[in-house]
Amino acid sequence: MRGHGFLLANYVPGNSPIHRAPLALKFLLVFGCGLASFIIVDWRVSLAVLGGLTGLFLLTGAGLKRLWAAVRPLAAVLLVIGLFQWWQLGAPTGARIVLNILVCVVAASLLTATTPVQRLLDGVVKAATPFRRFGADPERFALTIGIMLRSIPYIAGTFADVRDSARARGLERNPRALILPVFITSVAFARQTGEALAARGLGDAEDEAPGRV
Amino acid sequence: MPAVTFDQVTVAVETDHAPEPKVLLNGVNLRLEEKRIGVIGANGSGKSTLLRLVNGLVQPTAGTVSVDGDDTVRAVRKVRRNVGFVFTDPLSQLVMPTGREDVELSLRRSVKNGAERRNQAEAALERLGLLHLADQSIYQLSGGERQLMALAAVLAVNPAVLVLDEPSTLLDLRNRQLLRRTLSGLDQQIIMSTHDLDLALEMDRVLVIEQGEVAFDGGPAEAVAAYRALCVDSLQAQGPASR
Repeated sequence: MRGHGFLLANYVPGNSPIHRAPLALKFLLVFGCGLASFIIVDWRVSLAVLGGLTGLFLLTGAGLKRLWAAVRPLAAVLLVIGLFQWWQLGAPTGARIVLNILVCVVAASLLTATTPVQRLLDGVVKAATPFRRFGADPERFALTIGIMLRSIPYIAGTFADVRDSARARGLERNPRALILPVFITSVAFARQTGEALAARGLGDAEDEAPGRV
Repeated sequence: MPAVTFDQVTVAVETDHAPEPKVLLNGVNLRLEEKRIGVIGANGSGKSTLLRLVNGLVQPTAGTVSVDGDDTVRAVRKVRRNVGFVFTDPLSQLVMPTGREDVELSLRRSVKNGAERRNQAEAALERLGLLHLADQSIYQLSGGERQLMALAAVLAVNPAVLVLDEPSTLLDLRNRQLLRRTLSGLDQQIIMSTHDLDLALEMDRVLVIEQGEVAFDGGPAEAVAAYRALCVDSLQAQGPASR
């Protein structure tokens, strides 16, 4: 499978104030930005927030190139959304919606670029521990997040491979030739991942038996 | 060495196109105690099913499989702690973005302290000479490096038995040699299916699987000869190739 784009920046070791900031604070920042994207109604405020977050990202030492790599896979979708909203609701609304999506992506990248995945998972386990009394398994929460982080680039890579195969057969305009193989490959990947996790004894409840053939 | 025992094991699956279940393995009896055991046979002969039974990924339709006396159905969690499994495609096995994170994931259940987990993960990577690749994206690794990384993640929890399902199929010659060298230095009991007959010749005992049954069980040279003979018979039965 060829190179994989990723919607969030991978961890970059460092000692910046953002790296040293408590994980809970970084979680709050992401949560706050997600919430703000519903509240902010002025595109200039969105632009200012995006500028601030980009500044924080650069402070981590991860660099603009990494930030662009995280945003690039979304560029075409954002363009379509922006143009559609401009046509439907006007330029200020279109700009605000696009900028708010970018705010969320940059905030999440800030978290993933400055936090090792294992620390992130430890944080998820800690946050989910109170739900243990309701039967939740905090390790499963963490495992789910980990698999999500791993699956996004895999599926993006699958889409790129399938698009190339469709092009080679002159079927690039046929949505079925693009969507169906990605769907089938994704389901197969999910099954393989489940099997690999089971083989390693990860994600099993204490008394859970494996599935039949 | 732990003893892996198959007692009258049959595995059958329902299929859409046939009224009767398809038999993948039929009445297999084995006691595997040697350190290096190879499993060879044609595609679809039942090799993978045989290996998956050892880890409890597949359950027998009839009969029992046990590892050191532990039934793979009733004591599946204990069995999985003792039996590591390496798949053909490491990309379906590595579930974290980097090798270090994947090895740490293996250790999450057994080592709760984060710093201790990191130390143990580094030690596991160091043992296979992979520490310098620990923080690279798994997509940036070569096929051989990925396969070794998957192996490191499995070995991190120190299983007594290591099962490998065609681990060299996707590798080039250099990476195959690298994998062979690594496997030869391990203390674990190894049960491995392979199409690499040179690799099979290095085993202590080799099983030839044909249409869900053990067609030959013995020394590697005799087993490879028996497998070649089976292939010749099968090709002759098909008749000449069409032009």
